[in-house]
Amino acid sequence: MTGFERPLKRLPGRHSLFWKLACLLIAFCLLMIWLSWSWGRYMEQKNAYLSDEARVTLSGYAVAAEQAWSRDGSAGVDAWLQAMGKRESTWIGVIGNDLQSLSSIPLSDNESQRLTFLRGLDWPVSRHVKGLPWLKIPFPTDPHAGSLVIELPQRFMPGRYQLFWRVVTNGVIPGLFTLLLCIGLYRLLIMPLNQLREQANAWRADQLNTRLSHDATGRQDELGELGRAFDHMSERLQGTVVLQQQLLRDMSHELRTPLSRLRVACDSEQDLTQLRERLGREIDAMQRLVEDSLQLAWLDTERAPLPQEAIQLQALWDMLRENACYESDWPASRLPCLLGVDCWVRGNLNALAQALENILRNAIRHSPSGGVVSLDGRREGDCWHVWLEDQGGGIDEGDLERIFAPFTRLDGSRPGDGGFGLGLSIARNAVQRQDGNLWAENTGQGLRVHLRLRAC
Amino acid sequence: MNPAAIGLPSILTIEDDPVLGAYVHEHLGRCGFHVIWCQNGQQGLQMAREQAFDVVLMDILLPGMDGLSILTHLRQSHSIPVILMSALGAEADRISGFRLGADDYLPKPFSMIELRVRIEAILRRVALDRRPLPISAPVHDDARTLRFDDERCDVFHLDHWAGLTRSEYRLLETLHRSSEEVLSKPFLYQHVLQRGYAPHDRSLDMHISQIRRKLKAINYTEREVRTVWGKGYVLSGHDDGL
Repeated sequence: MTGFERPLKRLPGRHSLFWKLACLLIAFCLLMIWLSWSWGRYMEQKNAYLSDEARVTLSGYAVAAEQAWSRDGSAGVDAWLQAMGKRESTWIGVIGNDLQSLSSIPLSDNESQRLTFLRGLDWPVSRHVKGLPWLKIPFPTDPHAGSLVIELPQRFMPGRYQLFWRVVTNGVIPGLFTLLLCIGLYRLLIMPLNQLREQANAWRADQLNTRLSHDATGRQDELGELGRAFDHMSERLQGTVVLQQQLLRDMSHELRTPLSRLRVACDSEQDLTQLRERLGREIDAMQRLVEDSLQLAWLDTERAPLPQEAIQLQALWDMLRENACYESDWPASRLPCLLGVDCWVRGNLNALAQALENILRNAIRHSPSGGVVSLDGRREGDCWHVWLEDQGGGIDEGDLERIFAPFTRLDGSRPGDGGFGLGLSIARNAVQRQDGNLWAENTGQGLRVHLRLRAC
Repeated sequence: MNPAAIGLPSILTIEDDPVLGAYVHEHLGRCGFHVIWCQNGQQGLQMAREQAFDVVLMDILLPGMDGLSILTHLRQSHSIPVILMSALGAEADRISGFRLGADDYLPKPFSMIELRVRIEAILRRVALDRRPLPISAPVHDDARTLRFDDERCDVFHLDHWAGLTRSEYRLLETLHRSSEEVLSKPFLYQHVLQRGYAPHDRSLDMHISQIRRKLKAINYTEREVRTVWGKGYVLSGHDDGL
């Protein structure tokens, strides 16, 4: 979530996409450099040497020149040279070990100079020399007798396909490899994004229950994180929509009850004071319902953290007990607090007070006559684990979670006297908003509602 | 020059709903206030600027100019107490109202009794603010009384300091000064915590609970802070039947 600032501050995590991309690109670069270097060298070398055909032909010329020399001396060489002049357009000479021509025509100065650097048959031929290279081929049977010197005919010049090979090694092959890399990157980066897009499109079509595939969310890198965040978002969206729909449905149902009673009262009641009393009662109930529902919706949608303070649970309990005793006519002795003075928790006073008050009201409502509702708890590391226990006989195990859902009324009690079934959902939302937990448990004697709150 | 001079507290009501406005007008008039009712925001702002009122009672959603902008304009030149009324009950609206300088916020629907209590709380606070600082009453320093120490913000009884916090001290001192008189929650919120009262706000109750515990801890039993249901709190002796 802090993807923009994180790379600047510290190294990306072990599973980050950064490492994958870095490895891939570095490996690719090295491969490309190595390929073009070694292949280029290989091709260059290969193209620098004479082909076998050229070697055979030229060796054949040397044999013929030697035969001509050993048979007829200078005259033979002259005749052979003349014959050769018709076959090859380049310069040909036959020289002795003293670098003088074996034919009757002596070498010109220019030719003598060229003779001082002559290539062997199996030497590399560079493309960079101007003109055609001159080769010296010693007579095969008696190398001391002399050598054939020939300017390499154009058709034997190596590297005629050099441009082609250069295109292949420097253009086509790197191009193919880059294409492969692109395909790899596409699969790595874009495919997951496509999945996200598909899911977003599914939302547009109101299919809020679609989720990403396991591949997309199981990844360890940033795209996996994105996928998980996306999934979480859709879960939250779906939850909110479901809750809102449920809330609207339940609320309109709940509002109809006091409205119909008002209608009856309006039609039948004759006594004005009684009518006024009934009106007041029903309006109070409706107002409470609207307020509770709005608050539940608010607690669920509002994500800004509540201001927190240190709260002493004993003092909070005293405050709630005073109200509860007034409302229910219970003596304070039936609402004991077994927590010590050292029980301080961190939370939002109003939210926590409301949560505890709702739980307490619920406990009192379901208590038998003479029953006791007690608050107790213990320190557990960084938290205070607090529980509120009644003697109301408890509820079905299957309902332990259900009582926290809005508009759940187990005993089917009528609204107005039994409440709307919003108290415990408000309590749970309020506790969860301050990083606490709220759950219920049967003790055999009654219901025990647990709270886990951050200690001070 | 204006109705306030006659002695009746004057109230400017800016409310566009004719039924509610007429009802508030009539009811507050019967309670002994001089009420001027205005149905338009722009007009209301002008009246509030030109005439001297004790309290302005104002809806947030108004034709002409909405309540929050009126409040913003008004606060640039006047410090007159303003109570906002609104059907927008959300916490956020309440907070933005207070931030702009409202003295209280009354969520609709409300009962006339509550409205009256809140108006009185504000008038009373304003009266207290205007009064010159009282010369502190001579302290009865016998063993049975509490000794108030303004410097330390704490009370002393039988060799022990109670260890009150600043707010708790202010609260106890306010109750002590009006001993045996019930002070309403809206007034205590206004005067001690300097903010409007909201039904879900439990800070005051929590302070009271702590004061009781601390007084009990130093064995002060002469008087105690009592809850008067539906009215407020009072510091009174034990024998008073309430």
